[in-house]
Amino acid sequence: MTTARSDIAWCPGCGNFAIRDALEKAIRELPVPRKDIVLTSGIGQAAKMPHYIDVNFFNGLHGRSLPLAVGIKLARPDLTVIAYSGDGCHYGEGGNHFIQTIRRRLDITILVSDNQVYALTKGQTSPTTDPGTVNSLDPEGNRNLPLNPVLLALSMGAPFVARGYAGEKSHLKDLIREAILFRGTSVVDILQPCVSFNRTNTYEWYGDRVYRLRKPRTGLFQAMKTAAVWGDRIPIGVLYRNEEAECRTGKTLYGERITDEDIRNQLGLPCVMMR
Amino acid sequence: MDFSVVIGGEAGQGAFSVELEATEMLAALGYHFFATKNYMSRVRGGHNFHMIRIADHPVHALSGYPWDMIMALDGETERRHRPNLREGGIYLSREMTREIESEARSAFGSVVASNSVLVGFLLSVIGADSDRVANASGEERRELLKRGRSFAERWNFAGHFAIPPRAGTGCRLDGNQALALGAILGGCQFMAGYPMTPATSIMHHFSMAARSAPVHFEQAEDEISAVNMALGASYAGVRAMVATSGGGFALMQEGVSLAGMTETPIVIVLAQRPGPATGLPTRTEQADLNFVVHAGHGEFARIVFAPGSINEAIRLARDSFDLADRFQIPVFLLTDQYFADSVQVVEEALALEPRFREPPAADAAYRRYRLTEDGISPLAFPGLSDSLVRVDSDEHDEEGKITEDLELRTRMVDKRFGRRDLLRNAAVPPTLFGNGEADTLVLCWGSNRLILQEAVERLGGEGIRLAGLHFGQVYPLTAEMIAPHGLKSRRLVSVENNAGGQFAALLKRELGIEVSESVLKYNGECFTVGELCRSLRRIVTGGDR
Repeated sequence: MTTARSDIAWCPGCGNFAIRDALEKAIRELPVPRKDIVLTSGIGQAAKMPHYIDVNFFNGLHGRSLPLAVGIKLARPDLTVIAYSGDGCHYGEGGNHFIQTIRRRLDITILVSDNQVYALTKGQTSPTTDPGTVNSLDPEGNRNLPLNPVLLALSMGAPFVARGYAGEKSHLKDLIREAILFRGTSVVDILQPCVSFNRTNTYEWYGDRVYRLRKPRTGLFQAMKTAAVWGDRIPIGVLYRNEEAECRTGKTLYGERITDEDIRNQLGLPCVMMR
Repeated sequence: MDFSVVIGGEAGQGAFSVELEATEMLAALGYHFFATKNYMSRVRGGHNFHMIRIADHPVHALSGYPWDMIMALDGETERRHRPNLREGGIYLSREMTREIESEARSAFGSVVASNSVLVGFLLSVIGADSDRVANASGEERRELLKRGRSFAERWNFAGHFAIPPRAGTGCRLDGNQALALGAILGGCQFMAGYPMTPATSIMHHFSMAARSAPVHFEQAEDEISAVNMALGASYAGVRAMVATSGGGFALMQEGVSLAGMTETPIVIVLAQRPGPATGLPTRTEQADLNFVVHAGHGEFARIVFAPGSINEAIRLARDSFDLADRFQIPVFLLTDQYFADSVQVVEEALALEPRFREPPAADAAYRRYRLTEDGISPLAFPGLSDSLVRVDSDEHDEEGKITEDLELRTRMVDKRFGRRDLLRNAAVPPTLFGNGEADTLVLCWGSNRLILQEAVERLGGEGIRLAGLHFGQVYPLTAEMIAPHGLKSRRLVSVENNAGGQFAALLKRELGIEVSESVLKYNGECFTVGELCRSLRRIVTGGDR
């Protein structure tokens, strides 16, 4: 690690520090050299993560870490691609990309720092904010239902879905490593206390509620049932792991030459009726 | 010898198929021809018409002369087009095409067969040799084409407008095919897109290539995703492009800005259609020039090309990828529906050597944004060496890490924006045609090139001295580009398919050149040669002769 803790743009006590440690350790344990790992991210506090991990990265625009990841993975199937961002980025601005990327069945790992708040812009409602939460843009309390990311990921057909918690670092490290090694789209929603703007979902609040699942649920419906559990008890761990799910691999493009025959084929194509 | 036919019908009725099949046969038989279409944004019904011009010399535009032949597949064709049939022209009425349809149905078991019968009729009218037609057609169409010939003979139209085939067997391409071909020649291996008229067939042709060539097309969930996917692929080391129209490009703008900030090479095709908003989805316009030149927040360099012929489109599309790489900028190809949907024989020889980018080398000291003298930092891609490739949409330091060092910020802006000077030296000069000494110089850009060229030639034949200047590169515009043409000492007229005279305004802003008159058309249709001649004649002579 070359980044001094003081250079990190997170608040003291931020859940992202633990997530960063877990991600760093998971990467260290991977049988993949750092040069073959690409981290994409969007914008937000969590999206600064790539700056604090020594791998390749493309820190793109808000909500767009996933299309970047898709483009990278399709262009270079040899790279290990991880898309890292927060709940606002992955589920709000990039919500449709989250849905559609899972459908693409590529070997991409989607990690989400889920602090249930827009932290970088100082505390507005995010897609996972609890109803009734009062903040600067919701002075009368949030009127919207929260999105359940793990349930959504399962319903879209994600073959690997897990929930981690920043307060359980070693457990989280194992989850992240397993997700990256899993061949297929993996989603890990990481509960992340925000010490500056989320007064409800604190370390204490989570400490009273989270419990570890000993093993993934058997079958999708069982997994969905568990994914829906939220409140007095919050399960963390691998909710679903489907080894049988098909994973799409892009063909090798890099270094491959387009040939004269490819050009001849192209010239032989008829004009088409297409608008 | 110059023959123009219009085939009118409801969408889904077969007029499009007749055009496709006719142009395929015309190319195979070695005719000079040009074809384009005017269609509605619907899959069935309405009224669409397809225009084919066939001649004994190269033609690349609609002549604007009255129709020599009209093929009516619906009742509307009579009302819309018959008043413009020349004296002695052939009118294939709806009753006659019905007769063809019913005979096709009874003889060949399908009404669809009548499309080929109509093509056989057309080929007979222009005097195509029956043996050559039979040889050029596939087994399954041979009888159908023959049946069309017998209709022409029965109605005494065979050889009525005989035209000798003088093109040699050329290759036939529409504008979008040319762009896809040029992209693949340029070493582009990745395209992401969301279907939008009139850009969709570029995606189709690219995805067809992907069946056997090392290229990939990914249909994105929206244009925002498409441009970000392409930037991801480009970052990873594969040349990448997107194609869309104005509305889709509106969504892509943040990606344009991202390309500018991260210095990620990308080629963007914008096939224009009339706006604002959904506008006329299937018609043509050149009203997005301002949009493209200014697209994306912040300041960064870009190149905008607007090809005016099939060959130019292939060449510029191919070269765009080298330029995007060399300058690490977005390069735009600005076309329109007219260009996309016009089919032409390619007469000049094409350079068909595919380009290949040698993998760049990077060492452990690699910094993606290393400050260099000319502002261009060497490109490298992740995973190819031990060096890490780090790029950021935030302002960043040489390593690609976020910075708020404001002194560095200034240097980084200079790095990104300053390469405009390099672009000036790489500019593609405009093309001059007509009478180079003429006092009046007519300016155009993009798809109007060959329409204007023919108009200038036709007027020259009338003794009206005109020169034409076509800009295949519309941005940046440099003093060197126009230096040989004495723009400041001549009367300038601009021809554009928009209401605001956007190119004339750009020329004034960039180079202080004043255009005195404009010929503008923005009803959604292209110019015809005849129409442009009338407008230019009026301007030059002060009246319509």
